[in-house]
Parts: sequence; structure tokens; C-alpha cells
Amino acid sequence: MVTYHGRVEDDDRVFKALADPTRRLLLDRLFERDGRTLTELESELAMTRFGVMKHLRVLAEAGLVVTRKSGRHTLHFLNPVPIRLIHDRWIDKYTAGPSSALADLKRELEEGT
Amino acid sequence: MNTTSAQTTQLYQVFIKATPDRIWEAIVKPELTAKYFHGARITNDAQRHISHGPDGELWGDGPVLEFDPPRRLVHEWRSMYDPDMAQEQPSRVTWEIEPLDGGYCKLTLTHDRLDGAPKTAASVSGAGWMFVLSGLKTLVETGTPLADG
Repeated sequence: MVTYHGRVEDDDRVFKALADPTRRLLLDRLFERDGRTLTELESELAMTRFGVMKHLRVLAEAGLVVTRKSGRHTLHFLNPVPIRLIHDRWIDKYTAGPSSALADLKRELEEGT
Repeated sequence: MNTTSAQTTQLYQVFIKATPDRIWEAIVKPELTAKYFHGARITNDAQRHISHGPDGELWGDGPVLEFDPPRRLVHEWRSMYDPDMAQEQPSRVTWEIEPLDGGYCKLTLTHDRLDGAPKTAASVSGAGWMFVLSGLKTLVETGTPLADG
């Protein structure tokens, strides 16, 4: 179980956890199929077991991965709620108005090619 | 490890700055659930989980399997708000409230036994429970529903 010090709800942890391609890959893998063991996750990455554990720990501290015991296995679940909260806090606010128009323009131009 | 059982277990966790009692209240009282749960008025007591839509229609009705205020609530789930999903097998929802330091609680919601309810599983995943939990957090922490914020 993760121990939290001080303020537990910290956007910094989530942004830091997401600022790494391996951790984003781990989240994508869990998104495709949830509830995986360390061994399963490790088999898909060119990385040591210890390396994967380290990344999973950062994700768990950010609340993005939650573990559950199932018999003698520890299963890793994607917890998408912190990303939703960041979306509510940082994205919703900016998607209304001019920045949204530019994003629409970008999408339209890129899709048009 | 049977991989299909994992796919039919969904887990959501959120940290809320409130007492366990306040969070519990927000889960079991219909006048509070109406503010964040798609307008549903939900009653959870030691016997039953009953949910009514904004116009009084029955959205859910099932036994409560564990009732341990303000820590743990387990109830059956049937998606009676949708005719197709209502035909599916019942699944199970577990709410766990764990107090932490600093006035926070960890709220974990597990929706499992979804093997016989693939449409429900797809419907509640993604934005489904996330929307409900972020709404609950906002309501309990600020006293105002997310949609009106």
C-alpha cells in the first residue's frame, strides 16, 4: 500500500508520472486489458523486472495504478480518475473559446491532408 | 490467472478531503446522490440498493450484500435504466472508504462480476464511474454539484 505524505491530492505527481514514455506505455497496456500481474506487464517491455516495478510504483503513488491481491498474485488496475480530475481542472477550462477554435483548425487541417 | 475475470473487474479510486461520515452520507442518501449520479435518487440501507431516475422510474434494485457504515458498502448492480442492459446478469459494486492523514479519505469503487453483463461493463467504464466519482468528490468537498460549478 502506498503511503502518502502531506497533501495526497497532488497534480504534480500525476504530471510527473505521465512525463515518461514507459509509464504511459504501461497505462496503455492496462487500458487495453486491466488487472495484470507484474510478470505479464514485464513480458511486454524491454526492461528488467526491477525497472518495471519502479515505474509501477511511481504510477501507484500518483494514484494512476491501484493494486489488488488475488490469491498469490498482485493485479494492477488502471485508475483513470486522477486523469479525469486533471482534465476537469486544466482542460475543460481552456477548451472553451479561442484555444478550442485553434485546436479545431489544427485537427481539420491535419485530417484534410 | 484467468484473464477474462480481470477484464470484468473495474476499479476506480479517488482521494477526497472529507470525513468518512460525509462521504458515506453522499453514497446512501437519495437527496445527495441526485446531485452527482446522473440525477438518480439512490437509497442504500442494510437490505436494499434502490435507484430512481429523475422522473421516478426504477433505475436499479438489488440486495445490499454488506453494509458497514461508514467504511464499506457492497450491493448488486443491474442497469435497469436501459432495456438491453436490464436483461443482463446482475453485477456487483463495492464502495470502500479508508481514512488517511490530513483529513483525506481514499474512496475505492470496484465494479466486478461483470462477466454476464458485457453491455453494462462497457457502459460504466471510461467516463461512466469517473464522472460519478469526480462529481461526488466535488459535491462533498465544495457542497456544490459538478454540473452547476
